[in-house]
Amino acid sequence: MLDRVRRDVERNARRARNGIRLAAGADRPGVGQTPKDVVWQRGRTQLWHYRNDDVRHSPPLLVVFSLISRSYILDLTPGNSFVEQLLAAGFDVYLLDWGEPDDRDAQNQLEDYVDDYIPAAVARVLERSGTEELTMVGYCFGGDLALLHAAHHPDAPVRSLTVLATPVDFRHLGPLADVFASGRLDVDDVVDSAGNVPPQVVLQGFKALTPVAEVTRYVTLWERLWDDQYVAAYQAMTGWSDDHVPFPGAAARQTVRMLLRDNGLLTDRLVLGGDTVHLRDVTLPFLTVRATRDHIVPTAATAPLIDLVGSADKHELALDAGHMGLVVGRTAARTTVPTIIDFLRRRSDDVGRASAS
Amino acid sequence: MTESPLWRQAYDAAERRVTPHADRLVRTPSFAVGTAVLRRAQALARSSAEGVTARAWHLLNLPAGSDVSRLRTQIGALDREVRRLTVQLELERRRPAARQPDAEEPHAEPADPPDGAGPRPARRRTQRPAGA
Repeated sequence: MLDRVRRDVERNARRARNGIRLAAGADRPGVGQTPKDVVWQRGRTQLWHYRNDDVRHSPPLLVVFSLISRSYILDLTPGNSFVEQLLAAGFDVYLLDWGEPDDRDAQNQLEDYVDDYIPAAVARVLERSGTEELTMVGYCFGGDLALLHAAHHPDAPVRSLTVLATPVDFRHLGPLADVFASGRLDVDDVVDSAGNVPPQVVLQGFKALTPVAEVTRYVTLWERLWDDQYVAAYQAMTGWSDDHVPFPGAAARQTVRMLLRDNGLLTDRLVLGGDTVHLRDVTLPFLTVRATRDHIVPTAATAPLIDLVGSADKHELALDAGHMGLVVGRTAARTTVPTIIDFLRRRSDDVGRASAS
Repeated sequence: MTESPLWRQAYDAAERRVTPHADRLVRTPSFAVGTAVLRRAQALARSSAEGVTARAWHLLNLPAGSDVSRLRTQIGALDREVRRLTVQLELERRRPAARQPDAEEPHAEPADPPDGAGPRPARRRTQRPAGA
């Protein structure tokens, strides 16, 4: 009994301390801390090269990130980082970060990213690494950009493509997406004065997916507020899930028209830069990783992808995880990342062999 | 594993009951209509307010926020074209250099840089597999 009282008193003291810290915004965990260099920049877009003295595999990896969220989810905290694990496995890792779009990016279309920035980043990676090809990894909507790039540039020097939590059936992206898809709402109804879709709209779209979960997360926080580790993880994870970037207006219009209303990835009605693009033109070795408890990109939105690409060497990995759980947390560390690493390693050369050839 | 407190158990029970209804509600046509009406009303209110203030500023022969926004949009579009051309130029510059060791004619002139006449850079066409 006495132990229980003592424990409760201790917990309440810690709860008060952590509550004050949370409210004050103090002690925020450092995110995206893995050392890196900016090796190419154009507009808000940057190509990051993570430092690694122990590169054992070639070609290098280029990670293409989503347009609507921040890339530090892939390098959340030391010890809980997708990038860190790739580096430890001996890969040379580059990440294409789109930055925070402003009014100068309002006219950016999907072609800007798929036909200009990604090829430029690919060229820079090859130039810097001295290799003739690279391996591409796309996360969430970044996976769609990587897919469109691979389909529109079948001769690009990409050895294999891995996409994570990448939607192709846009009918299953939740209530707000449905409102746009049905034509009840247009992008022009939500763009801000800069001409972009503000991050609050994107955030509301995600929150509408699981309306009760929003309350539950605060209830759980209150229950576990005494636990320093939980609070640190909460700050890092929810910090990211609430931290979106504006979606460039023109790209958003194109996404709504081509991907939401036409459901173009699934129905094979994709046009980029005047060219018809087909996912069956993606013929390079391919891995799609999807999370079965993903409420942001539900499994119904990701599952058809494996049948749409034309690769002979294609694989699908369905994991019991949530959207973020694919890249951070225990499931990621134990299952997702090792499986991705294994897929990539099998399609890579060791550095000695690559340099000899 | 310690058992969760009673209040949490009560919350979880309530959540289990409420969640399916809430999830259904946000997927109803009424919710979609409500969201659309709310958003459109917000946009209308914003544009009406901007219209009124713009007229006031114009009376004083001063630019309004909407004029500045229009200018920013135009500068943004120009900035985008310059960025695209720069990226394209970078790619073109790299291509001949990358091809040089295998080139049959090492003294061949490199491709001319884009003259900026067309906003859309040249693209590689999608290659369809034979017989597809």
